[in-house]
Amino acid sequence: MIHLEHVHALKGRFLLDDVSLRLNAGEFGVVIGPAGSGKTTLLEVVAGLLSPQKGTVTLHGADARKLPPEQRDLSLVYQHAFLFPHLSVKENVAYGAADDATMHEISERFDIIPLFARDVRGLSGGERQLVALARAFARRPKLLLLDEPFSALDPRRRTVVRREVRALHRAWGLTTLQVTHDFAEAGMLGDRAVLLDGGRVLQEGTPAEVFRKPASPYVAEFLGAENVFAGTARDLGEATPDWVDGEPSIYAQGHRAFAFETEGLTFYAVGDFATGVGHAVIRAEEITIARDQTFDSARNRFAGRVTEVTTLGALTRVAIEVRGVPLVAALTTRSALELQLAPGIAVVASFKAMAVHLC
Amino acid sequence: MKSKLTHAVLSVFAALAASLLLLFLAAPIVKLVADAGGEGLTRLGSDAELRNSLLLTGITATTATLIGVLCGTPLAWLLARKRFPGRAILAALLDLPLLIPHPVAGIALLLLLGRDSAVGSRALEIGLRIVGSPLGIIAAMLFVSAPLFVSGAREAFAKVDARYEGVARTLGDSPWSAFHRVTLPLAGRGLLASAVVMWARAVSEFGAIVILTYNPKVASVLSYDRFTSFGLSEALPVAAALAILALVPLTLLRALRTDTRDDR
Repeated sequence: MIHLEHVHALKGRFLLDDVSLRLNAGEFGVVIGPAGSGKTTLLEVVAGLLSPQKGTVTLHGADARKLPPEQRDLSLVYQHAFLFPHLSVKENVAYGAADDATMHEISERFDIIPLFARDVRGLSGGERQLVALARAFARRPKLLLLDEPFSALDPRRRTVVRREVRALHRAWGLTTLQVTHDFAEAGMLGDRAVLLDGGRVLQEGTPAEVFRKPASPYVAEFLGAENVFAGTARDLGEATPDWVDGEPSIYAQGHRAFAFETEGLTFYAVGDFATGVGHAVIRAEEITIARDQTFDSARNRFAGRVTEVTTLGALTRVAIEVRGVPLVAALTTRSALELQLAPGIAVVASFKAMAVHLC
Repeated sequence: MKSKLTHAVLSVFAALAASLLLLFLAAPIVKLVADAGGEGLTRLGSDAELRNSLLLTGITATTATLIGVLCGTPLAWLLARKRFPGRAILAALLDLPLLIPHPVAGIALLLLLGRDSAVGSRALEIGLRIVGSPLGIIAAMLFVSAPLFVSGAREAFAKVDARYEGVARTLGDSPWSAFHRVTLPLAGRGLLASAVVMWARAVSEFGAIVILTYNPKVASVLSYDRFTSFGLSEALPVAAALAILALVPLTLLRALRTDTRDDR
């Protein structure tokens, strides 16, 4: 278990500022953030390589502030691997290994036995990361700290290794905290996601929560949301919207209806949001496109014209302009072809009220 | 066209300037060895005073270097790794012996270690004579050459990314274990090269030694003594022998510096 409370830590001129996070035993946590956001610094605080100036660090239920790194029962893998260059691959893996059997088992799982006799200086970036992962696992720690450990692996191998790491995490009951800037990876691996920027935690929750309900337009844009609008949210309150049956008491419990005004458009949203000036976020995958007015359950429906169609394999991004406001929808390429979408074509974009997140 | 011409003129000028400096540095040594190298090597067999002087120089320089390495290594590590108040002042203090004229260093050491000083008199009470003994030579050599070791060792430690030590710590190493299993091997070449530089500097020291301990004579003092007592013809073979022997640490240093592999 990792529990950080109000941690302030200084590394050079960079400050990790009032960071709190909780990762229960056996959970896989993912720290996401842009370069220089403090992700690695956060791992170093957990590892005990950097002492916090303020705040508490609790590991496995014990106060870890006075515990040196070697007594924290953890392994750390840096992005650049930091294999010991004066040792062979085998010697690196064996460096802190719990025992020979574990070392060999892990080396087999990561398929690095053929590299054993090699000088680490001659390894490729991907091979280095594999050896660093094996070295970390061979120690058989309770806590695993990974700093972008798959970044140098080719896509095929990344998938295999990611699966292996996740399998070992489950099988050994590890608590794992991994740094990544790849949100897709975070979604695949993480039980919890922490979004960090400028040394501060911007949002924490399950990857799905962070992805679907970003706490701010910055978070939304960082996570790849393409439809972020500034405007004003109005609680529809007593004026029960036509899609909600019953008395206000039903929707007062976290399911209130809102109208969000932005650049002459009104989006309908349902949720537990604040009123007033804010932002609306709609993920491109939540927007559907039709060639004519269809009647379905979507409460938000806008007629507009296609301005751009970009195909990336099986996925197509369609940019639409609705009364001067740009919207982006993500469709399968097959749908885009069937609809014969092209710039200038008139279309109707629609999305459900639940797809509109106000922040 | 004009820029090509400028480039050519500048290149010729740079090559000429570099060649002149090289010639200036190498010519005296080459001339010395050419004129008296043969006789110098012959004298190594026949001149007992020269042999004893070289032996004394080797022993005192090696002892001073060992002390410098033993005490300077932790200091260099501290300066390379830790940030603490007064670190800049400490670093400046370490550079001071390199900047002051070496006879001045000898005078300062005499004040501290002379017979009438607190340290010198206490040492005499327990039977240790510093001034006028090999101990004085070692003290002078240590004073003028240890800063070179600390400076080089500090650089060698700084080149080893602290994250190597961090990884070793997370793999179960204590700070000391991480130091000797990871940092020391990675900084080893740099430390050895710094020790060779220190040793070479100690061997060549004259100014501070001549004030602290004229007798017994180390090689530098002997060559000076032969020159002032017997003239250039007597000093030449000694000087030539010393110049030839100086090639040993120089060659060693080059060999150590040819392999400066780095890893990330």
